[in-house]
Amino acid sequence: MSAVIRLERLLHETVATPYSDLVTRPTGAAVRQRVLEALQEASGEEAHLDFSAVGLVDFSCADEVVAKLLNQLAQLPIVQLRLRGLREDHAEAIEHALLCHGLAVVALLADSPRPRLLGLVPDDWRDAFAVLADMGRAPATPVAEALAWPLARALQALDELAERRCVLAHPDATFELGAVA
Amino acid sequence: MHVVSVPAYLDDRTLDQLAAQLPPWPPEGRVLVDAHATEWSSPAGFTALLTLGQALAELGAPTPRLTLPGADGVASYWAKAGFLQHADTLFELHGKVPRRRADDASETLLDVTPIRESKDVHEVVGRINERSTQILKRELDLEASVVGGFGQSLSETCQNITEHAGTGGWVAVHVYNFRRRLGRKAVVIAVSDAGIGFRRSLEATQAKRFGERWGDGLAIETALIHNISRFRDPGRGQGLAGTKRYLARWQGKISIRSGTARVCIPPAWDDEPPMTEGLAWFPGSQVTIVIPAREVAG
Repeated sequence: MSAVIRLERLLHETVATPYSDLVTRPTGAAVRQRVLEALQEASGEEAHLDFSAVGLVDFSCADEVVAKLLNQLAQLPIVQLRLRGLREDHAEAIEHALLCHGLAVVALLADSPRPRLLGLVPDDWRDAFAVLADMGRAPATPVAEALAWPLARALQALDELAERRCVLAHPDATFELGAVA
Repeated sequence: MHVVSVPAYLDDRTLDQLAAQLPPWPPEGRVLVDAHATEWSSPAGFTALLTLGQALAELGAPTPRLTLPGADGVASYWAKAGFLQHADTLFELHGKVPRRRADDASETLLDVTPIRESKDVHEVVGRINERSTQILKRELDLEASVVGGFGQSLSETCQNITEHAGTGGWVAVHVYNFRRRLGRKAVVIAVSDAGIGFRRSLEATQAKRFGERWGDGLAIETALIHNISRFRDPGRGQGLAGTKRYLARWQGKISIRSGTARVCIPPAWDDEPPMTEGLAWFPGSQVTIVIPAREVAG
């Protein structure tokens, strides 16, 4: 099950503005509060923050809406949190905010079908993530083979990605990206 | 009556000449700001003049006088840029006040606009986004992807007022030809407020580290170069950091004047020193951002 949270709707429910821009800290904090309420209702689901109808996202609002939300991810009842419908300038603002907090998230940009990691992402995470995106659900061994890595290195990268909920770790020791579209 | 002459060309640099003529603060008598011989003002000049008027009003000083430019067309341009309608609320205007006509001038991306609270930033960003993409593409040959960063920089610079100044301020955005310094067009974002300034904003958390060296220059440097704000939250101070990153990519420039100092991050095309201290004091803080047109190859 996936819950899609359309950010422009929450923005208009929160702030009296004719525009669809996610700008300013007070706006970001208010929208984050609404997102948290929506995520409580999406208990046990994969959640997608949908930016497709959002205009501008500034650095402060990216910090309030995305970075601070990800900082609370462990307390949320959802399986995964994904971003989707992002423009390149949205991604840049969000990445900048995530770098400051040492966070990472999976995002799907509006102009590309391939999921992308944003934020503080070591090369090993990025490589393992890309291979898993091509493989679908897989254990660490084929990921290690595809990258010509020792198994422990692949396992560590995948475990760390799973710890940040960037991939799903299953009880049978397989990993997958989960829903990204 | 204390007379302050406005330079013939008023911009973020020549503002220093105007500041040098201000009386000891707070002024004892009435101030006359004489722009009779002024031929041109950048958006930084407009927002700074309004800041001066605002600072005097907030002191409860007698309403200052402003003598309007005498040259043909200059006062009309000041009206078109939205300056005079706000100046009229802060100054006693002298000279022929032109009626404001609808502004179809492509150089004005955003009229002089007051910023007091968060909703004003929404309004400014929303309004400018509707026009700016086309103008920035047409006038500056910038790609659409550059326009997003432009809006982010505008938003963050305006938020400097709502988050830190402790009072209101002003913003204006124009496109004009930087013939002498740059040799091509540029878009200029000017934001000015009459607030507490960078030194006072950061004093409680930063002054102790620097001891007697603490002053306006170090305060601006702390915020602009080291991304530190008065808030301890790690996400704070990142608005300016993101803006700098964007400007570095597009050979843009940011300059901040506050109190008696100005700190800038000069791109290759500009010769301004990174820090200038010992300037004449001017109220509040002034931020100027310049984003140049794409350089034509060959």
